Order: sequence, then C-alpha cells, then structure tokens
Amino acid sequence: MGIVFAVISGKGGVGKTTTTANLGIGIANEGKKTVVVDFDLGQRNLDMILGLENRVIYDMVHVMDKESQLRQALIKSKHSDKLYFLAASQTKDKTALEREKVRKLIADFRSEFEYVILDAPAGIESGFEHTIMFADATIVVVNPEVSSIRDADKAIGIVDSKCERVKQNKHVQKYLIINRINPEMVTNGEMLESNDILDILDIDLVGKIPEDKKIVEASNTGRPVILDDKSPAGAAYRRISRRLCGIEEEFPDVEKVQQASLMDKIKGLFQ
Amino acid sequence: MSFLSSLFSKKETSAGVAKDRLRIAISSDRDNSVYPFMAEMKADIVKVVRKYIQAESVHVTKESEGEIDTLEIEIVIPKKKK
Repeated sequence: MGIVFAVISGKGGVGKTTTTANLGIGIANEGKKTVVVDFDLGQRNLDMILGLENRVIYDMVHVMDKESQLRQALIKSKHSDKLYFLAASQTKDKTALEREKVRKLIADFRSEFEYVILDAPAGIESGFEHTIMFADATIVVVNPEVSSIRDADKAIGIVDSKCERVKQNKHVQKYLIINRINPEMVTNGEMLESNDILDILDIDLVGKIPEDKKIVEASNTGRPVILDDKSPAGAAYRRISRRLCGIEEEFPDVEKVQQASLMDKIKGLFQ
Repeated sequence: MSFLSSLFSKKETSAGVAKDRLRIAISSDRDNSVYPFMAEMKADIVKVVRKYIQAESVHVTKESEGEIDTLEIEIVIPKKKK
C-alpha cells in the first residue's frame, strides 16, 4: 500500500509543480516506485516541467471515465525508471472531478505505487478539495513573503476540515517547504526567515530551497533541477526526497550568506 | 559599512515588520474563518428549533478565548402578542 502526498499551496506560482516534479524524481531515484499526478485541471503544467508534453495521449479524466486504462495513460519518465506520470486533462471545467471517481483513482495508485504525489491546484481553486480529500499527508509549499504564507494558512485550514483522514479522526501530517529563499535578503533582514515562518504556521519543516536561476533553465529544457549536481536548489530537493523516504538528513543553513573567514579576508588582501 | 550600520542602528527590519503583520492577519483569519460545515449545521439547528418553537432567526458565531473556541448559538424568538 502506497502513501499519498498532496503538494499544496495557498496562492499560485509558489513552485508547487516544480516541487512535485523534483520530489518525484528524487524519491524514484531512492528506489521507490513513484507516480506524480497533475490535478490542476485545465492548467496542465507538470508535463512541461518533466519534459513529457509530447507524450501525453490519455489524461486523468480519460482514466476516471474509463475511456482509457490506467496503465495506458501512465507515462514513464525519461529521468528515472521508477517514475511514472499521469497528465491533467485540459478541460476547463474543474468540477469534472467527482468524489467517488477520485477515490477509485487514488485507490488504484495506492495499490500500484509506493509513493503517490499529487500536484494540487492553488488553495482557492475548486479542484483543491478533491486533491487533498484522499491524501495521507500534505506538503505545503510557501515563499518567504506575506501573501503566500497567509494563504497557506487558509489552505491548511481546508485540509484540516475536508480531508477524509480527519473525518476518520486520523491525523494528516503537514510538511512545510520554504521555496525561493534569498540568503542575502534573509541575512539583511529583508526577508522572513524559516523560524519565523514555522512559528506562524506551526507545521513541520521538511526543507528549505534557496532561490536558484537554474530552476528557470530547468523548466526551459524540461529537465528538473534535481538532476543538476551543481544546483543548490537541486541539492535541497535531493535532501527533501531522502527525508520523505525516512532517511535522516541534516539541515544545512541555506539561509545565511556564508561569511568569509578572517583568514580568507587576509589572503584576499594579497591577491 | 553594512557591518558598522548593523552594529550601531537598531532599526527594525522589514522581515520583522512582515512577521508582526502576518501574526495579526493570520490570527484574525483563523478567528473569522467559520467552519466549512457551518451553513449546513445552521440549517439543521433551524430545523430542530422549528419543531418546538417559531424562531425568528438563528445565529451561530465562533468565539475564541485563550485556548478554547466556543460556538455561540443565538436563537431569536418573536415575543408573543398579548
């Protein structure tokens, strides 16, 4: 029986889809059979981030309406043998999701895969509730700025009231990812630091991702940044993936600009 | 320069301002956020109340005090005409 994670946020554009793609690859590369599913109906994007946009034939709605078998609709990732992907449908109608059909789909994923990662629409969209309804745990993505954090709190509130597990009196674990941290700004007190955000949201931190130009490059080419050995964001995603696989990983300080030591400064004088 | 200014000035940082503002905004959001089942529950309460008495209106409000949240249900009944 696999575990189902929903990747959520309050507002859009904080890096949910990028996070889903990278964690999917990261977890699959830890040897777990993984599927990433785009639940953002009408705004299909995960296919682009994974570089699979040309391979989509059947999507989630085809599978739910039994126009396609799940196996036919799943696309194998180019980046990992253990990773599969199911596309969102391009229909604009976000109400196309029906509760019982979603339940069935998620149950099928659970029996086929060890890790199921759902890319949710933003917290205000109607498809949001369907994405979180049958999840075991959620990964909350925020940026270190006020509107993203405030909206995340609302999204967490919806999870706490709409999730099936909550209705069964079970706990829904919530993991926080702080994305797009600018170390220079945090050091100068111009950006909220992770401790402040944790204080306010009061959920468990699973990772901090520094801002990284490589992310844009990665989405340009459809080759997620986790595959880039030199990217700090990629390294952060690798650590998060390992944590989600139950492996202990240290939290290096990605928030502070590393100060040059006195010796380095003195050496610098002579260069 | 930035080293010296950070030593000698105690000016509040914008991150500090953000934290304070967020705290207040989120705590008020949480207070105001009615439960999603509120409308449904209210309709059920109205049904039950109407079985026994002709209520004019039913208000359900959430109050927070310290660690405890309470739901206050106010049932307004019209005065009997004498």
